[in-house]
Amino acid sequence: MTNGLNFCNRNWMKEIKMSKISDKIKSLDHKGLMTHVVIGYPSMAETEETIYTMANAGVSLIELQIPFSDPIADGPTIMEACRVSLENGTTVKQCMELMARVSKKVDVPLLFMSYYNIVFNYGVQKFCEDAKKAGVSGLIIPDIPPEENKDGFYEACDKSDLDAILILAPVSTPERINIIKNNAKGFIYCTARMSTTGSKEDIPEDTKTFLTKLKKTIDLPLSIGFGISKPEHVAFIKDYADIIVIGSKVIDIMNENKKENRQDAIASFLKSILKEC
Amino acid sequence: MISANYLHPKKTRKMKMKNPVSPNFASDDGGHFGEFGGRFAPEMLMPALIELEEIYKECQQDEAFQKEFFDCLKTFSGRPTPLLYAENLSKHLGGAKIYLKQEGLGQTGSHKINNAIGQALLTKRMGKKRVIAETGAGQHGFATATVCAKFGLQCEIFMGAVDIKRQRPNVFWMEQLGAKVHPVEFGQKTLKDAVNAALKDWITNVETTHYLLGSALGPHPYPSMVRDFQSVIGIEIKQQVKEAENKLPDTIIACVGGGSNSMGAFNAFLHEDVQLIGIEAGGKGLESNQHAIRFKGGKVGVVEAYKSFFLQDEDGQLKETHSIAAGLDYPGVGPQLAHLQKEKRVSFEHTTDDEVVDALKTVMKYEGIIPALESSHAIAHTIKIAPTLPKDHVIVTNVSGRGDKDIFLIAQALKDDKWFEFLQSQLDERNKNE
Repeated sequence: MTNGLNFCNRNWMKEIKMSKISDKIKSLDHKGLMTHVVIGYPSMAETEETIYTMANAGVSLIELQIPFSDPIADGPTIMEACRVSLENGTTVKQCMELMARVSKKVDVPLLFMSYYNIVFNYGVQKFCEDAKKAGVSGLIIPDIPPEENKDGFYEACDKSDLDAILILAPVSTPERINIIKNNAKGFIYCTARMSTTGSKEDIPEDTKTFLTKLKKTIDLPLSIGFGISKPEHVAFIKDYADIIVIGSKVIDIMNENKKENRQDAIASFLKSILKEC
Repeated sequence: MISANYLHPKKTRKMKMKNPVSPNFASDDGGHFGEFGGRFAPEMLMPALIELEEIYKECQQDEAFQKEFFDCLKTFSGRPTPLLYAENLSKHLGGAKIYLKQEGLGQTGSHKINNAIGQALLTKRMGKKRVIAETGAGQHGFATATVCAKFGLQCEIFMGAVDIKRQRPNVFWMEQLGAKVHPVEFGQKTLKDAVNAALKDWITNVETTHYLLGSALGPHPYPSMVRDFQSVIGIEIKQQVKEAENKLPDTIIACVGGGSNSMGAFNAFLHEDVQLIGIEAGGKGLESNQHAIRFKGGKVGVVEAYKSFFLQDEDGQLKETHSIAAGLDYPGVGPQLAHLQKEKRVSFEHTTDDEVVDALKTVMKYEGIIPALESSHAIAHTIKIAPTLPKDHVIVTNVSGRGDKDIFLIAQALKDDKWFEFLQSQLDERNKNE
């Protein structure tokens, strides 16, 4: 503990256990692909179906987002999906139940994505234990930096053998990169731009420089996300990262297609992306 | 006169302690007030928050900055604001002696200008050219738009679509001052959503933009920094009551949305023997579920990058709030206030929409001043407790803003037909001319 901050000290963890997620990524003969769903959007049944579609298409990791009323890192597409899901009555308990169902049926490491208030309200320790029991491999919680570990979030993740995925952004300073590097497990989630989530037309050229710089000092796999929505984007950036993240684009496809065509549309889109991976 | 370097941490934080074991109410270096506060921000914002903290620390030590800030408070905003002995109201109520701290008499009509000036000077120092801000009642947006005009900064304001409707006069002035006002159409379309929208914009434009947050909440260093810029209110109260009564006030009452006017009024008294009362928005009453009573109705959570009390459901989803006053219609509360409540240093009460409108009528009738609906919450509680207190008991109630902005809401609440006839005639005239 220094300067009133509550850094977690977890360097010892690395030697104890490899992560299921980084093992999976390192075993691939192509780039990893992580896809994303908002649980309960457009309905619980369709979320489940979409996860099976993704697994069958051959994605490497899937993020299941527990909807939160005030998702500050998300853009309009995911915000609206969260709103609809909550209006449908989605609860955290239902998200745990869905996770338990699908994790038995798919052979893809699954992650929960959400915001810290959801974890905190559930009880940090209990959330991690229940998530593990439900078959989760990692958590992506963007608003709990390593400095804010007073409630023991990072230790709780370690104890339940969950990878707490940390994020780096193009503005991250060398000091921040060090803090993140020393606390990361599984992989590091790098954002291609300064923005909230959402499909974009292109990937900034300096994303390559950003990833190259990180690769020099970081051994863990790097994922690249935020705005990636086309096979051309994947071709442009894949040599610089280990995992490609597709988030909002799948929701866009859901929104553009009628219910009966959605799964086919998602499957053919993922196929076109995986071809580039 | 107040010394120009009152922001200096050594001079403001080292207060004389009556009881050496009494808790230190300031934050640690990580921005934690006990279990509350902190910096629960996504990585995209961490470097900007750290930079802001460093620049702010630098300014606290820099006498040139202090002087410029203080000169601006004096010449641009019109400080010190007067402390009015509300003699008629006190006599009418027949109890305590009531003083009203008239923050509404400053530039733009509320205390919000103090912090807006401070952060505009910081923005200049950081070399950033664009400023964004959230606003609920529009007072903070209005204050931000004026300082941006004064200091040549590009200004964009995020305001819930519902609040734009109920606080149109402030929107009008913001736009006239050159600010772009973005209606926020998601969520409940009020203050909380405006903060969310501003944070999202900041994530995207953090390298060129300063987020001029208006309340004593959000990630570190905002709660401490906003409090410090506002603490001039309490420092003046102390001097003015000393001049008038030759003692400290017995009680200070302030309304609490996020906490900027209340922390500003309370900060100089945290280590003194003075009762401090924060008044939350009771809306239609605690039982109605239409209120913003965070302490009695909420629980601890982490939202909008800080830990505090929030109105939320079992899962941690934020609940809808309601208040007649847009500036108090917010589900969270500043982290230092949460800490002060837990330490029993500040007590919290609430007053309902109906009590607030009655209080507004009373203070207009007896004192000839028109407080904002937000500030009328504090007055409503003052009216409740003053008759029960002895005549030598001095209450200072912070009138955080004036009520001009509320003319549409108050006309509606008072069902003033002549006002609506006037509005109709304005429209008719416009239609005729087109």
